[in-house]
Amino acid sequence: MNDTNNNASDSAKPGRFMGAMIGLVGWTDARLPIVRTWKTHMSEYYAPKNFNFWYYFGILSMVVLVIQLVTGVWLTMNYTPSAEAAFASVEYIMRDVEWGWLLRYLHSTGASAFFVVVYIHMFRGLMYGSYKKPRELIWVFGMAIYLVLMMEGFMGYVLPWGQLSYWGANVIVSLAGAIPVIGDDLLVWVRGDYLISGATLNRFFALHVVALPIVLIALVVLHLLALHEVGSNNPDGIDIKKNKGPDGIPVDGVPFHPYYTMYHDLPGVVLFLFVFCAIVFFAPEMGGYFLELSNFQEANSLKTPEHVPPVWYFTPFYSMLRAVTYPLLGIDAKFWGMLVMFGAIAILFVLPWLDKSPVKSMRYKGTYSRVALLLFVVSFLILGVLGTQSVSPGKTLLAQIMTIVYFAFFFAMPWYTRKEKTAQPPERVTGRFITIPQLIGSILLLIFLVVVPLMLTSTAEAAEANVDLEHVETDFDDKGSLQRGFKTYMNYCASCHELSYQRYARTAEDLEIPEEVVVENLIFDGSLIGDLIVNAMANEDSQGWFGAAPPDLTLVGRVRTPDWLYSYLKGFYADDTKTFGTNNKIFANVAMPNVLHELQGDVVCDSHGDPDPSRCELQHVEGTGAQSPAEFDATVADLVNFLYYVGEPIRSRRQEIGLWVLVFLGILYVLTTLLGREFSKDYH
Amino acid sequence: MTDDSKNAGRRRFLVGSTSVVGAVGVVGAAVPFVGSWNPSAKARAAGAPVRIDISRLQDGEMLGPIPAWRGRPIFIVKRSDEILSALNEDPDRLTDPNSEELEQPGYAQNEYRSRTPDVMVLVGLCPHLFCSPTPHIELKPEPFDTEWRGGFFCPCHGSRFDLAGRVYSGSPSSRNMEVPPYSFEGNDVLVIGIDEDNA
Repeated sequence: MNDTNNNASDSAKPGRFMGAMIGLVGWTDARLPIVRTWKTHMSEYYAPKNFNFWYYFGILSMVVLVIQLVTGVWLTMNYTPSAEAAFASVEYIMRDVEWGWLLRYLHSTGASAFFVVVYIHMFRGLMYGSYKKPRELIWVFGMAIYLVLMMEGFMGYVLPWGQLSYWGANVIVSLAGAIPVIGDDLLVWVRGDYLISGATLNRFFALHVVALPIVLIALVVLHLLALHEVGSNNPDGIDIKKNKGPDGIPVDGVPFHPYYTMYHDLPGVVLFLFVFCAIVFFAPEMGGYFLELSNFQEANSLKTPEHVPPVWYFTPFYSMLRAVTYPLLGIDAKFWGMLVMFGAIAILFVLPWLDKSPVKSMRYKGTYSRVALLLFVVSFLILGVLGTQSVSPGKTLLAQIMTIVYFAFFFAMPWYTRKEKTAQPPERVTGRFITIPQLIGSILLLIFLVVVPLMLTSTAEAAEANVDLEHVETDFDDKGSLQRGFKTYMNYCASCHELSYQRYARTAEDLEIPEEVVVENLIFDGSLIGDLIVNAMANEDSQGWFGAAPPDLTLVGRVRTPDWLYSYLKGFYADDTKTFGTNNKIFANVAMPNVLHELQGDVVCDSHGDPDPSRCELQHVEGTGAQSPAEFDATVADLVNFLYYVGEPIRSRRQEIGLWVLVFLGILYVLTTLLGREFSKDYH
Repeated sequence: MTDDSKNAGRRRFLVGSTSVVGAVGVVGAAVPFVGSWNPSAKARAAGAPVRIDISRLQDGEMLGPIPAWRGRPIFIVKRSDEILSALNEDPDRLTDPNSEELEQPGYAQNEYRSRTPDVMVLVGLCPHLFCSPTPHIELKPEPFDTEWRGGFFCPCHGSRFDLAGRVYSGSPSSRNMEVPPYSFEGNDVLVIGIDEDNA
């Protein structure tokens, strides 16, 4: 009797619990439309079943948005928005905050990833006519998102307060000065100062982390609401709602959830995260495109870097700005350049009203449209590549031609979309349209069209190659080399230079030197083990002695390559005409004496009568110096290894962790793919 | 039929394994965000041991709260014989007269709560809600206690402590003030934050 009772109550428990949950959902739903919203936007939102590869990039931009919001919030916890402290606070995040380096790399890589997925998403829209009636508003909201995203990217790039942050901001903000009449006053107002300064940085910080994200999220909501009102387009550009089954559900539609969310998009998201993490953990600088190397130097309002290239996602528009070199109607070229640059973005907004074609998708449009889209993509890519390079007459001409091609795509669209012969789209959606060979052929054609003009204009300038640098191997695992390098640094460099973002304790730990040994043998100024490696020499003194304060060397290993540092340190030679009696083959007229002279001994330059130091053939004077040339090379190699380590102390650990992350994501990818394949069977 | 059941097993496996691996991923992704709230290398460096010269501290004087360790105020009191004899006059007034709660290192778990009777070292924070108590060193009646025998009075919620940092009964705090790890270098230099256990 007792047993039966127990059983009955046991089996009733889950029922009662579920009952309570259902009751709670019902109670809430009567007051807040949760269930209705879920159905409208997820479980009963019917998307065309023929989405292909290009349709991943909408959801991926949502994924990146979340990554940016979360990592961004976390970065603000340790970032200091002031001209004095911003740069140091970023290095503080990179070195002193636990996992700070990862948060920062996720955010910086996320910025570039955002533009990658958004550009592909926009291309998808162009290809399948997703902007055409009735989806004009979706497109307009999308373009507004793109515009806000560019403002976010620009202002976010200013925050680390490096040289390119500063001078990039200077250039872009100065465009406001091109506006006739009010320009100059407007410029001062935007900057809040007579040059870019801490005031500008502070307002950009407020806009970047508070105002613009709110606008961005609001626009994303509008983008999605408008989309779900009219329904998704598809590669065939036909309306699936015209063909409904007896249940009122489009025959070619599948519920967005769970079909797309779980079974179709999830493996795609994981694959994206795999590529994303590969960059974050193994190439966060992405060869200087995602994090530009000159930006590891603190902003200096008195010295413009040699090149001020914008980040890659702005380069097409930057090229257009530079391509306009003629004054017109009595107004200078600067104003017209700005107009062209902003016009190139503005014209995207009116695209839905320029396309007069009776069909949406490129699959059924005619030859004119296809050629136009191809040339448009070519022009955008060429302008993008040109924007990363310095100008030359040939390149300027190419940029001018490509700017015309870019605008011709839009201005000629009403004409060519009406003139061309189109095909009749099918009644029902179809699967793959082009064959694999056709796909490969198109990609090769695209590469050919982009690469050939670039090669034609670049051949003229190959001559400006640098001096040959000597190669040096760096190895984080060679603790002996790092320890010797640290010792050389403390004995020969530390009296003038600082490593002001790096701590003794961190160095001791990474280099596996006991803290007591560091305190007793390598700290000469009474600093504590937890202190930053700053030096005793006052900056004013050194300024008087050398004419310029010796630069901080914490990040020199990131700004310069190890090869450069190695060749530079070995490049000193006797030259009586210079202040210190020395000159340098790699860095002519450098205001630094050869501090390693007692080790290296005398070096003379055999220039064969050429006054250019880079033509020097360096000759060691035999019998001079405390070390033999081979020993000296090893000393310099150890020092370079150490400086390269200090540039990014986490480098080796980052790659170790990255490997585990990628293995994990690989497993998750296999599982989600199998899961998706299994459950997709229910929908076909 | 057999196909269906095989399918169901496969589906259960895939849903289960993907969920488990996905959950591991969520936890893993949370690690950097949680970890970044720990004290940074800078905060830990500021928490390094502090050396204080106490040679000029006179009987009945307090040094503090200027020496800070881990950013927390440190009270150092040189106790006279009068103070020491007053300490254990009336243990019934104290919540934990014998320092049974572990608010101090082992070497300070004695009647004076210190390594040497004369030098008292305390973290100058009330364990109640971490306000810093005000020192009232003199053994004279105070508005908050007519039988005051010297000690610390917390302005936030009125907790009272004697000159060994022990809390009086009837205070909001139920614990004694914390004694930090400390040691001496010679007779004159007090080192806070380091002792034989964590040297």
